[in-house]
Amino acid sequence: MVVRNQAVLTARFNKLQDPTDVETFCQLGGYAGLRKVVEMNKVDVLDELDQSVLLGRGGAAYPVGKKWRNLFYAESDTKYIVCNADEGEPGTFKDMALIANDPLAIIEGMTIAGYVFNSQQGYIYIRGEYRNMHRRLRQALTNARKANFLGENILGIPGFNYDIKIISGAGAYVCGESSALLNSIEGKTGRPRVKPPHLAEVGLYLKPTLVNNVESYANIPVIIREGGAAFRALGTDKGGGTKLVCLTGHVKNRGLYEVNLGTPLHDILYSEKYGGGSSTGRPLKFIHFGGQSGPIGAVEQLDDVAYSYDDLRANELTVGSGAIVVMDDSVSIIDYLTVVAEFFAHESCGKCTPCRIGTMRILELMEKFQRKEAIPGDLEIFETMLTHVTELSACGLGQSVSVSMFSGLRLFPEEFEVAINRQTADQKEVIW
Amino acid sequence: MANITIKEKNEIIDRYHANPEQTLNILVDLQYASTDGYIDQATAQFIAKRLGVTETRIYEMISFYAILKEESQARYVLKICNSAPCHFSGEPLVSRSLKEILGVNENEITDDGMFLYHGIPCAGACFQSPFIKVKDRVFPNLTAEQISQLISDLRAGRYPAL
Repeated sequence: MVVRNQAVLTARFNKLQDPTDVETFCQLGGYAGLRKVVEMNKVDVLDELDQSVLLGRGGAAYPVGKKWRNLFYAESDTKYIVCNADEGEPGTFKDMALIANDPLAIIEGMTIAGYVFNSQQGYIYIRGEYRNMHRRLRQALTNARKANFLGENILGIPGFNYDIKIISGAGAYVCGESSALLNSIEGKTGRPRVKPPHLAEVGLYLKPTLVNNVESYANIPVIIREGGAAFRALGTDKGGGTKLVCLTGHVKNRGLYEVNLGTPLHDILYSEKYGGGSSTGRPLKFIHFGGQSGPIGAVEQLDDVAYSYDDLRANELTVGSGAIVVMDDSVSIIDYLTVVAEFFAHESCGKCTPCRIGTMRILELMEKFQRKEAIPGDLEIFETMLTHVTELSACGLGQSVSVSMFSGLRLFPEEFEVAINRQTADQKEVIW
Repeated sequence: MANITIKEKNEIIDRYHANPEQTLNILVDLQYASTDGYIDQATAQFIAKRLGVTETRIYEMISFYAILKEESQARYVLKICNSAPCHFSGEPLVSRSLKEILGVNENEITDDGMFLYHGIPCAGACFQSPFIKVKDRVFPNLTAEQISQLISDLRAGRYPAL
């Protein structure tokens, strides 16, 4: 039985001398989920997932139960299971930690998916920058095969044939987008597809495909083992379980933490158990949540907020990937957002025009604000540009460029105001 | 890619059954196996022939994916992070120091061919900035003195594995 304030996803961290060793993994609860799932009715498995309210851990927070149900009822003899390990969100390193410390948990989660969907083949798409993690995963897969947890007739069940391949990414942030990731697995350039059709209908090699994040898969065995309701109780009613968060920036104790969803944000920032407060001696000013595509919150407005999907959403914030980037009051929002804008201009894949051109125009405007050379009308152009890029871009990358910018504008309007030279005449012409 | 023989190239390609759908894995493995850190044109043509695709397809992949390079790299490629979490946690110290010590700008190789530094969007080492990453190894929480020590150590060959 799992209870609050107990490590769940990180329970085996540092307890496995060799994290790829199947025997010690099994001694610490490993593969109990898979052993249980093969005794269960598959529809009951979906019900447990719904009960758990596990929301996708990659960033989009799509209910995993719903995603699995969509794939379950998709008609096809061939279905693929894909693990998105293309962790590229700046400020995020939780997937790397899971792969390094407990790779078999991810493999177990993917194997459970293989069983539920009668799939024969899984893929782990791992970012190229995590080269040493490739070796770790490859070893874990080899060991699982030797112990017959992968391969043919798994657990002695005739016809339960399933294996997993590793595919290396090569430094493209956009490949974290599910359909771009599938294109990359197929040996193409990783540009997103136009959706619909959804991947549960037309996915990898045009077959129904499940794409989940590393952390989502690692949660699956816990849900099966402990039951959906017990899992939900680890978090809140609107989002169950624990979340791996990555604390970076100007806090004393930077690093990875597993927190129960619903933990007060104040504790995560200031308690010695987690962030430990400011590392610079200056007051903390703002937090960037969930990666570069996430929103920004002002620390002084977040005193009573809990770190949960529902409470953050009520404050126009998100959990996202679990990144919590904390900045002190020496950092101007303009400087910060200029770096964010650089990131998007660099990572736009170039497939659709609004994102390709728009991210560049947004960066140019941010640099203009930074030089304090903006003129009356620039702010309006900036907001229009952000809205255009959000509404017209084809995939999540372009659609989310504006999230941090709009929250920055809303929270710190005075910093933008002083960047504008009001002495200059208003622009007569609109530039597009 | 002078250090890899045709036989070794074939081995890497055969590891993936010369499957064109595995082009990315093949390119990444080949580049990591080389000491000069890039896919030269002869190799690109060789892969294209083995996989039965055009040379253009191979270069489409190399130019799209940031990790793949089409030009010779320095002996040591020093990766620094230029994303927001690191940028505001002291990473500019690294680029400033490297520019001063090596006397080159970002993405320029030193005259002796030993060093090149460039920013990458994220290395997953955000809790260790300011850092430098060389191949798989992260040198964390650096000071100006440590950066200059690291450069002398690399120059003196004290990290044979890198």
